This record gives sequence, C-alpha cells and structure tokens, in this order.
Amino acid sequence: MTIDLKANTCPNREQRAGAINAYYGKATDLVREVRAGSLVNQEREFQQSSGCVLNFYLTTRVVTIRDAVMIVHAPVGCSSTSLLYREVYRRIPPSEGRPTDFDLHWLTTNIDEKDVVYGGADKLRHAIKEAQARYNPEAIFILASCTSGIIGEDIEGVVAEVQAEVEATLVPVHCEGIRSRIIQTAYDAFWHGVLKYLVRKPVKKQPDLVNIASMLSYTWQDRQEITRLLNRIGLRPNFIPEFATVEQLRIMGEAAVTAPICPTYTDYLSKGLEQEFGVPYFMYPSPVGIDHTDEWLRTIARFTGKEREVEELIREERATWVPKMDAIRADFARLRPDGKKVEILGSLGQGRLLTQVPYFEEIGVSSPAAIIQDFDNLVLDEVEQIIDQAGDFDVLVNTFQAAELSHITRSYDPDVALTCPFQGSAYKREKGATRIHALRGDARRWSAQAGYKGAIAYGNFLLQSLKNKAFQKTMLAKTPDTYQDWWYEQTDPLHYIKKEA
Amino acid sequence: MGTVTALRPKEENRYPGIAEAPRFSCALGGAYMATLATFGAVPILHSGAGCGMSQNFGQNFAAGLNGAGPQGNTSTPCSCLVEEHAVFGGEDKLRALIQSTTELVRGDLFAVVSGCVPALIGDDVGAVVKEFREKVPILHVNTAGFVGNSYKGYEQYLDAVIDQLLTPQTVVRKRVNLLGVVPYQHIFWKGNLQVLKDLLAAVGVEANMIFTEPDGLEALRRIPSAELNLVFSPWSGVPAARKLKEKFGTPFAVIPSVPVGPKDTSQFLQFLARRLQLRRSRVEAYIAKEEARTYRFAEYMADIAMMALPNAYTAVVADTGTAIGLTRYGSNELGWLPEIVIVTDDPPEESREEIVRSLTEGLESAVKPEVHFEIDAHKIRLLLREHTVQLVLASSLEKYLAVDELDAMQLSVAFPAYDRLIVDRTYAGYRGGLALMEDIAYKYGGPL
Repeated sequence: MTIDLKANTCPNREQRAGAINAYYGKATDLVREVRAGSLVNQEREFQQSSGCVLNFYLTTRVVTIRDAVMIVHAPVGCSSTSLLYREVYRRIPPSEGRPTDFDLHWLTTNIDEKDVVYGGADKLRHAIKEAQARYNPEAIFILASCTSGIIGEDIEGVVAEVQAEVEATLVPVHCEGIRSRIIQTAYDAFWHGVLKYLVRKPVKKQPDLVNIASMLSYTWQDRQEITRLLNRIGLRPNFIPEFATVEQLRIMGEAAVTAPICPTYTDYLSKGLEQEFGVPYFMYPSPVGIDHTDEWLRTIARFTGKEREVEELIREERATWVPKMDAIRADFARLRPDGKKVEILGSLGQGRLLTQVPYFEEIGVSSPAAIIQDFDNLVLDEVEQIIDQAGDFDVLVNTFQAAELSHITRSYDPDVALTCPFQGSAYKREKGATRIHALRGDARRWSAQAGYKGAIAYGNFLLQSLKNKAFQKTMLAKTPDTYQDWWYEQTDPLHYIKKEA
Repeated sequence: MGTVTALRPKEENRYPGIAEAPRFSCALGGAYMATLATFGAVPILHSGAGCGMSQNFGQNFAAGLNGAGPQGNTSTPCSCLVEEHAVFGGEDKLRALIQSTTELVRGDLFAVVSGCVPALIGDDVGAVVKEFREKVPILHVNTAGFVGNSYKGYEQYLDAVIDQLLTPQTVVRKRVNLLGVVPYQHIFWKGNLQVLKDLLAAVGVEANMIFTEPDGLEALRRIPSAELNLVFSPWSGVPAARKLKEKFGTPFAVIPSVPVGPKDTSQFLQFLARRLQLRRSRVEAYIAKEEARTYRFAEYMADIAMMALPNAYTAVVADTGTAIGLTRYGSNELGWLPEIVIVTDDPPEESREEIVRSLTEGLESAVKPEVHFEIDAHKIRLLLREHTVQLVLASSLEKYLAVDELDAMQLSVAFPAYDRLIVDRTYAGYRGGLALMEDIAYKYGGPL
C-alpha cells in the first residue's frame, strides 16, 4: 500500500483494508474469508447509534493537542462532545507528571440554515482568522462534518487561500460522518492530515526517540509506566497525538521507530512515517501483559541498539512482577474450584483482541468469544497467530451495537462481562460485570493496563469484579430490559442483518 | 502557548455564531433528549451514526455525569446514514429501522427524530412515519442540527407532540403542566420537576411533569386537560404554552425561574393560590410550616455560611432560569453581592430585556449585577477577568479558571457539569437553598 499524500484524504478503511463491522462466526472462517477477499460488509435492518467518523474519536481528542486549535466546521451539535476540553487533562495532578502550561481551545463554525443555502466558506475563513488572532496557535485543525460535505464546502480551497494570512499551520481533516461505515476511518483521515501538513523532513535523527501513538483507552498511568520503562534503557517516548504539542507531531520523522499500543489505530501513521521519512515500525505486540511487554521492549531495543540494556531491564522487571502475576493467577484458579477457568467476555477493538487474548492466557482466565468493533486485513497474520495459540473462537464483529452485545453477553453468560459505557444494558446480569478500560484522563493507579505495572493492576482489577455482583443483579431485577424477550430466545445476535451489501 | 490574548476592542463580529464551546448541542440533540426524558418513549434517529452516541458525552454526561438511560446512547435505534444514502435516499433504511424497532424495543411511543442528512438530501420522513401511524403511537420531530440549538430541539419536540398526538380533553380543575424545564440543558431538571410537583401537591394542585412521569405517553396525552400551564422560564417552553393556548384554550403563566429557597417559593405558591383560587388558609398554613422548618434548619448552615462566604461578590454563568433563581436566592437570602451574571443559553432578543429586569430588580443587595448574554467560552472568560469575585456559580468549564485566574470558589450549577453527579439533586423549593449551601460548603470544607 502506498500512502498518497497528494490526495486530500486517505481512502476509507473499507477500500484500504476491506474492513467490515458485521460478522458472526468462527475466527478461522473470518480470517479465511477476509484473506480471500470474499467478505462484504452487510447492512443491518436494526441498527443503533455507534459513533461516526467525526464523532467517535476526533472531537474529543484532537482538541487535546496542547498548542493547537480545533475548528469543527459543522452545526453546533457535532462538537458538543468537546465540551469536556477544559477538564479532561486538568484533573491529573502535576505531581503525576502533567505539564501545567497549556490551555486548550476549539471553535465551532455553527453552520446554520443560511449557511446550508449560501455556503459557509466565508464563515470558516473568519473562524480560522479568529482562532489565529485569539489563541496564536501552532496549528489549526479543521474538521469536516456530514453537513459541510453534503453542501459541498471547499475546505481545501479555503485552507489554500487563508494559509498565507495566518501563522498557524492549517490541517484539514476529512472526517465527514457519512463518508464511511467504519468509524476507524477517522484515525487514517486524521493521520493523513498530520502526515501531509505537519510532519517535517527530519533535519537530524533522534536515535533515542520512540513514537508511540495511543488510543484514548490507555490511561495516564500507562503513559507513565511506558515512560519509566523506556527511560530505564535510555530512550524517550514521543506520545502522540493526545495531549501532545504540535512540535511533537512535527518531529515524528526524526524518531528511531514507531511502536504500537493499538496497531490498527497507528497503522496509517506508521506506514506513512516509514514511506515518507524512513522511520521503521512494527505492529505486534503491544505492551499489555508481562510477556508481551517483554517482547514490545525487545522489538524497540532492536531498532534503537539497546539489545543488551533491554535484557537487563526485563530481567529486573520480571523479578519484581512475575511473582505478583503468579499470585493473581492463583487467585483466579481459586475462584473456580471445579478446575475450569474463569470466563471473561470483552468487547474490543482489533488491537485489544491481539493483546487481550494472550493476556487472559497469562492470568489464567478464558474468553468464550471475542467481540470486535471492526475487522480488516491489517492484522491478519497476527490474528492467525492468536488463533494458533488460543485455539479457534467465536467472533462477533459489531461496532457498539448494544442489542447484539446484550444478546451475546446473555447467551455466552461469562463469569464477568467487560463493558464500556457504550454497551447499553449488558452490565445488568446475574454474574459479574466491570468496565473494560478507563480513559486517558483517569490518572489513578487502579486504572492502569499497560506495561508491567498495568498487567498487575488490571489483573487485580479483574479479580475485584468477581467478588460482588450485587449491583449488576439488583439492576437486572429492578429495571426493565430494553428489548423484548423474543430477542434473547432466538439464537442469532445478527438476526437483523440484511443478506446483501 | 498558554496565554490568552485579549480580544481586539469592540470589533464588529460578522459571525456571532462562531464560538468557543457554546453550552448546548443542536436541535436534534434537544429533541432527542426530550424524547429520552419521556419515560417509555423510544427515540429513532434518522441521521448519521454519531448523532446519538455523541450526545451521550455532549448532553447526558455533560449534564452532571448522567447515563442516557435504557433507550439512550448506543441503545438508541439509528439509521446510521452514509454516503450511499445521501445519493440514493435514506427512506428505505428508515422504514426497515422503524419496523424492526417496533418489533424489538420495548416502548409505548416511538419518536423519529430526523437530522441534518435527511434534511439536506430531501428524504420524505413524514411520509415514512405516516405508514406506521395506524400500528403504533409514533411522532416525527422534523428537525436538523443546523436549524438551532438544544433549546430549539426541546421546542420542536413539544411542537410535534402538540401537532401529532394531542386531542382536546375535558379540563380538570387544579391540574397544571410544568413547562420550560429543559431536560439535560437544565442540569437539575429531574429534581426541579419533582420538587415542583410535590410542592404543588401539598397545596392541592396536580402537576404533570411530562418528563420523568412513570407513563410518559399518558403524561403527554393528558397535557390538554390542564387548567393552567406553568412555564418556568422567560422563554423556554413559552412557544409551546402559546400553542397550547391557541389549540386548546389553556391559559399559561410565566414564572421567570424555578424558585430557589423559601422566599421565592412562598411567593410562587401565593401567586398560584390567587391564580387557581386555592384555599388561602391551606396555602398559608403550608407556607408557614415549611418556612419555619427551613429557617430552623438554616441555623445549621449559618455558621459556615458566615465563615466561608459572608457577603461574597458572586459571578453567575448559567442558563436563564438557573441564573435568575440563584442570583435572587443569593442576594435576597444569603446576603451575597451579585457582581456579574452571564446568561449562556442564547435567549431570543425579544426576551432579553425581561431577563435583565428579573436579574436586577427586586434584589436586596446594594450591588446589582452587570448582565451579559454570551455563548462564547473564551469571551465569558475574558468578561469574568474584568471582575473581582469570590464565588463563581457556573458550569464546570469555569472550574479551574475560577480558582486559578479569579482566585474564587467555584461550584458547577449549570450546563455542562462534568465534575459532579446529578441524579435528583435540586436547588428548587424550600430546601433548595440549603442544598446549594451544602454543595458550596463541600468545596470550602475543612476544620477551622
């Protein structure tokens, strides 16, 4: 795949990687069909709101770039999720390493009925100049919307024209909600803008710099842990894009390697940095679980000439953390005196599938099935590797479809269901349920998942979830279900799939 | 980086809509929230896939860390329109979605809320909805994100209810509807409605809260049977009240805000006693009893109020109703000095003079507030910096700047409030003022 930075934007995930978000069956069949290119995405006759290209990730996260301004060229509701901007990172105490000199800003162009008729280009022009005058930012990200797309706003034209008049680098992001069924297209659309407009040709390489692009679902403590580990072998992480400075985005071409936390999130960026600036990358593994953290560090070390140092680090870290992991594994084993493994059902992105299945092996629990937001051909080899290790498993591919998630949770009936706030009422159950992850602004040690510390913290967190089910059971008993009973009596979570594309 | 340059003085803004972080979502958001607030109603969004989920953070969560309930967020049926629908139309997708939703989702009323995409591509949503009218109770709120903000969406929801659902009914004496409390935008909406209902019940008046009534459809249908509509805002809910007057002849009364604390609450009850010809002795007996208890209990908070915030200069940054209620309580009962009030919900021009009067007249304080109407978070920040204040009652957008830039205490009392959970907390009614002081003192609290 070649990334074409002359184009205004990336191709959709559907075109670029054959992505789908509706499938139920065996993991082996899914991989085979995707490899053969025979799998087409299917339309649902019952569908639930699940985020869009603009509003799953971008509006809440682009705004956290510390010295940039985000302009959402859209009706006023398209940026309401960004209202959290002044608080999301401010809650983290400076004692936890949060910088104190930042001030986040965003603007909406507030597209109204008049603009829909006469066009909003002049308003966008004005908003860009206003952003420059008010905040004097390093970069201004301009996010498109369904409405700006349908009325045919020439965002590229406005950017080309206004760039000469403002100091900030203008970065258009083509994230019209209707452009793709795959919300992960948002990542590529954002990275496209970053690669095209911000990353500069390296003047000098920084051999100790490691680009780490990570999703919002990895927390502040994860960042702290990764920093600690890399620092110990003389390396520095360059965490992008959340809460980064624009300069951190600009220097990505100078890094020694781009390392994944969530490989399919980082894919387009990693490939672009290699193609344009010769920065190598790897996709697997991510630093979740003790063994994978070892391998992740070793892979980084190979690109940075730290092979010797990393072995010493791993030896020391393992001495600290492996006994703790053994204790967690023993606790899980004690919870099922029948000798069976505790079953945990999680809903994950593709990236989390690759990390969570091996992590579950490590803590000695099993997963009756995997629920994946989307599936594409970017990590097929790695998924096959997982199947080889863990055996074949059932897969439901589904982007936040709450009815389907409630169905599969009830039918597999695991000991613990890992849910995020987007999973409807799947937490109401006879058995345990807990959150699948925290978000970046959560700086508590309790919420860590990455690196060695995270492996232990998350293991203990999961253990807690098996010790009291009162909340889930009470809510199940005392509140009505959203769906009719027949939904759970039939066996197909994809009951409402339309058979043609 | 890190600094905010001052605005150029008095420059003409050709595009007042362009703003940093305005404190509302779009009309679709408002209509969707009103549907979720109607218990038993199932929203069906005919829109892009993000229009439901994004409101979870932009409306529900922003209104005091609220979950969206059993039909909200990703549980909300949505046609999830993409480009091919924009080209070929989304009507078939909507038809299939309404059909499947009525099969699968438990509900008494289905409300199709149509957004920007169908409005721009010209889907005949009304015609599709009509196909289902014989089968299930169903509404169509014909809106779009670009027609206005959440407050507009609230009006459009009520408009759809009045036009499509309501029929004339026999008027029941001493029955009233509560209008003007906008779900989620008014972050204490649930508690406010319940306190008003209980207050009215105590003086023999049956109030229909509409929102959070156990049977939402029945509550909507009952609207025309009221003797009087009470609107608790100088502007939100007024169009609905006018329309109900036109259509069903129901008179209405506008109360500038949900009453906070004993003085305004008693005054409200006395007004109602006159208006609905209630038995005066019963109302006065109730007022006497409640005031006695409330002021006796105020003794418990008086010491800390005197220690923490005696005669504090206050800034209020809130929607119209919250701003009026808290300014009056602070000024008329706690002895605060209302220095500045910034009204953030973009009320229509024609109601602004009245709002300024409500905020500046009838205050015991020698200090009368400077009143601004502003939706832009950046300009609000600059306005606040021009004043010396000791307490900021605002949204959580002001949480840190109040402390860091104004050296003031701050409590989140208005949308958005991401720093506190509001389930049925309220500052309404007799006990409301004490609740406000409880929350403020929590910020101050510590041994002396």
